[in-house]
Amino acid sequence: MFVRFLSFLLLLLCSTVTLCAQIETPIISGGVQFLSTTAGGVTTFNPLIAPVVSIPIGDRFLIESRGTFDEFIFRENGTSGPYHAHTFSSIDYLQLDFIANSHVTIVVGDFLTPFNIYNERIGPVWIRNLADSPLIGGIGTRTSGSSEGGMVRGVALSGKNWQITYAAYFSALVNASQFGAGRSAGERVAVFVPSRRLEVGMSYQRFLQHQHLNSWGSYLVWEPRSAPLDVRAEYAHTRGGQGYWIEGAYRLSRFRGPDSWLGRLQGIARVEQFYLGTPSPDDVLPGADTQKVDLGLNYYLPHNLRVSGSYGRQFSSLGNSNIWNVGVTYRFLFPLLPGGSK
Amino acid sequence: MNRTNLFRAALVVLLLSVLTAAARNAAPQQQASAPKSAAAKTATSESEEGEKRFETNCGRCHRPPEALSPGEARTVLRQMRVRANLTAEDERLILKYLAP
Repeated sequence: MFVRFLSFLLLLLCSTVTLCAQIETPIISGGVQFLSTTAGGVTTFNPLIAPVVSIPIGDRFLIESRGTFDEFIFRENGTSGPYHAHTFSSIDYLQLDFIANSHVTIVVGDFLTPFNIYNERIGPVWIRNLADSPLIGGIGTRTSGSSEGGMVRGVALSGKNWQITYAAYFSALVNASQFGAGRSAGERVAVFVPSRRLEVGMSYQRFLQHQHLNSWGSYLVWEPRSAPLDVRAEYAHTRGGQGYWIEGAYRLSRFRGPDSWLGRLQGIARVEQFYLGTPSPDDVLPGADTQKVDLGLNYYLPHNLRVSGSYGRQFSSLGNSNIWNVGVTYRFLFPLLPGGSK
Repeated sequence: MNRTNLFRAALVVLLLSVLTAAARNAAPQQQASAPKSAAAKTATSESEEGEKRFETNCGRCHRPPEALSPGEARTVLRQMRVRANLTAEDERLILKYLAP
């Protein structure tokens, strides 16, 4: 798989040689993370690299792709015995974007399913505030978090103090090893109020395979101008269950600025609940009603480096547990070609 | 005496000619600097507006990246125009902020 991805990158690189005369620079960006997790007394290690390749073509086209290569390192008997490692690799998305005009962008290929916001916008390791994904992350994103087909998106309407954005897609059933997706159709509509830095949206997905399922979701993103606070929340419902999460992150940038030693610190709290419905074998959801509280600290070092730590307590009829995460994340961005930084 | 007056008159003429020449050279400079400062002012205000739009649109998910070249910034913005539903005006102004 790694060789295939390298071949793919090489192909992209060759194609970009013909494009380097244009103004936009093909880039490779993404994140590198090393994460240590202790859940229920069992410690595992998870190094990860997630490169994103972006190649603009002409004035209106863009090819973009993200791969994830990670390793799961664990001890044979949980807390004792020799260490073993499982390596995973995946192509998260590979899509061609065509910006038709200010209101319409057409996307074809393998793209992240735009259900609510976590999967598409705040899931990457260099963006998410806490290492753990929300409990309801599997709702509306089955089977792989990405869809294969076509999508139309953009700003439908806008005024001086508001915007209505949309995304509508259709996905075919694909069983290829790196591009698996279920047959589904869905949409997301949101209202964004720039003056309040407030976005409220809702999502719908109809899963169209052997079982037809509806998934509904809604979300909120709010960044008040009066404080360095990020508030994010999602609610999602499907036949397998429903739940919500709400997260607040406060950066101490008011204390001598965002680049002071104290201003680089960010505190995070997240509360989430999941209520089991009628589960099916394909669900990637908790097997029982679950509540979870997470408290975390992020420290933003210079040069796009971040040190993170968090503690979470999960309550479930299947067993309560403590979850500790400690990690280092580096966010990178380079030109894809030597000398491409113009 | 006549020679002294002649010398004074020559000095006055010389001073006047120097001042006139200096004034002639200064006038085009003032005329050139006026539009230049107006353009710089416009660029600054567009950069400030771009910063506001970055904080409003992009800041919902992540912080500003460290130094980007203009070519890199254009590519990032095209990507974010798709991902974050930026308008063409947002893209133009945020570019002014990221790569002035």
